[in-house]
Amino acid sequence: MIEIRNLTFSYTGESPYLISDLTMDIPGGQLISVIGENGSAKSTLIKLVVGLLKPLKGTVKIHTTSVGYVPQKMETFNKQFPITVEEVYKIHLRALGLKDNSLIDKCLQEVSMQDYKKSLVGNLSGGQTQRVFIGRALLGDPSLIILDEPSTGMDLRSQKEVRKILKNLREKGVTILTVEHNISAAIHNSDYIIRMGDQSGVLYDIKTFKTNIQHEDVDNMLVFRKEEI
Amino acid sequence: MLSYPFMQNALMAGAMVAILSPIVGIFLVLRRYSMMGDTLAHSSLAGVAIGIVAGFSPTLSAVVFTTLAALFIEFLRDRFKQYAEILMSVVLTLSVGIAIVLVSSGAANTNINQYLFGSILTVTRQDLLMVLLVTLLTVSVVSYYYNELIYTTFDEDGASIINIPVKRVNYIFALLMGLSIAVSIRITGVLVISSLIVLPVATAMQFRQGFRKTLFLSIGIGLIDVLLGLVFSYVIDSAPGGTIALMSVFTMVLALLLNPLRK
Repeated sequence: MIEIRNLTFSYTGESPYLISDLTMDIPGGQLISVIGENGSAKSTLIKLVVGLLKPLKGTVKIHTTSVGYVPQKMETFNKQFPITVEEVYKIHLRALGLKDNSLIDKCLQEVSMQDYKKSLVGNLSGGQTQRVFIGRALLGDPSLIILDEPSTGMDLRSQKEVRKILKNLREKGVTILTVEHNISAAIHNSDYIIRMGDQSGVLYDIKTFKTNIQHEDVDNMLVFRKEEI
Repeated sequence: MLSYPFMQNALMAGAMVAILSPIVGIFLVLRRYSMMGDTLAHSSLAGVAIGIVAGFSPTLSAVVFTTLAALFIEFLRDRFKQYAEILMSVVLTLSVGIAIVLVSSGAANTNINQYLFGSILTVTRQDLLMVLLVTLLTVSVVSYYYNELIYTTFDEDGASIINIPVKRVNYIFALLMGLSIAVSIRITGVLVISSLIVLPVATAMQFRQGFRKTLFLSIGIGLIDVLLGLVFSYVIDSAPGGTIALMSVFTMVLALLLNPLRK
C-alpha cells in the first residue's frame, strides 16, 4: 500500500538526519501503529507519507488515490474558531468535489457523533473532536487513513473509543496507519508495528509473528503482550 | 442630515467599507494575523505619500503599494513561517519609514492627514467607485473561494493534503486584503482601519455561532458601528473615523457584557 524507498529527512536539510535511508513496504488492509520514543520521528514519518514534508532523498509512493488524513489537532486547534461540525464536513466534501450531504450523517454515525452535527467544534471535548476528524477523513470513502497521534491529550475512555473506531474500520478493510504512544494498545490492536528510532524504522508483523523479531525493545513488548494475553 | 450630498456619500462609502472589512477581517482574525491590518494600513500610508510626491493619484498608488506589500508579506510568510510576526514588523517599519521620510521632506504633508485620520465626509465619486469595485470584487472572489478559504484558515495542512491550492488561495487572500485596506483608508483613516477589520469580527465571535452566521453577524455589527458612528459624529460634531472606532469598541464591550452565551 505504501512504498518507502531510501527515505532521508532532517528539518535543517543536512546531517544529523531524523530519518536516514529508510526503506519499507507498508502492507494494505492492515492496522499499522508507528511507535517510538519522543523525538524518534514518528510524526515526521507520517508527515512525509502524506506529503506535508518533502524528503531530502528517497521516495514515498502510496498505491491508492483515496487517502484520509487525521491531523494531530488537539494541541494547535483554535477552540474559538467559529465553525460547526457540519460546516467542517461540508467544506471537506466540496473540496473532494462531492455534493451529497447525506454522507455527512453517514460518517458522523460511523464515529457516533450524529448528535453533534450542529455543535461548534470548539465546544467538543478532546475525544469528541478527534472522532469528528476521523469522521471527516471517512467522507471520501478512503481505502487508507493516516492518523498523526490521534490519542494525544485524551482521557483513557476517549482513547479506547478512538481505538475501537479504528479497529472497526480495519475490519471493513480500510488500511490504518497511526502514531500510537501507548505501546500496550499498539500491540493489542495492530497487525503491524513500525518502531521508529536510531534514524530509521523497522516494520514488525505483530499479528502473525512471522517476522524474526530481533530488536530488544520489541522483544520486551511481545513478552508483555503474551503476559497480558 | 441625509439631505446633504456629502452625508449621502459618507453613508454609502461607510456602508461599503463596513461590508468589505469584516469579509476580509474574519479570515485575518482567525488566521491570527490581526497585526496584518495595521501593517497594511501603514503600507497604504507610504503608498499615498509616494503618490503625492510623485504626482500620481494617491489612492491608486496606495492600492499598488499596499497590494505589493500584502503579496510580499505572504511570500515571506510562506518561506519563513515561524517568523510571520517579525516579518510584519519589518514591513510596517519600512512603510512607516518611507511615509515619514516623504512627509517630513515637505512634499507630501498637504494632503496626508486625511489619509491618516480618514475623511469620510469628503469622499469623491471616484473614491466611492473604487470602494464599490473592490467590495464587489471581494464579495465575488470570497464567494467563489469560500470553501477553500475556510478550509485553509481552519486547517492549512489538511487543505494541502486534500489538494486545495493553498498557496494560490493565500496569495488571492493577500491581494484582497491589500486592495480592501488601500481603498478603505481614505474613508476610515490609517489609524482606525483595524477597528473595522478586527472588532466587528471579534464582537460577532462572542455569540459562538458557526462560520457563516459569524460572518453575517460581523457584517451586521460593522454596519451598525459605521452608521451609528457617522450619526454620532454628525450630532456631536466629532471626527467620523474616531467616532466609528469608539463605536466599534463600545459594541464589542456591550456584546461581552450582555451576551447570555458568554461563559
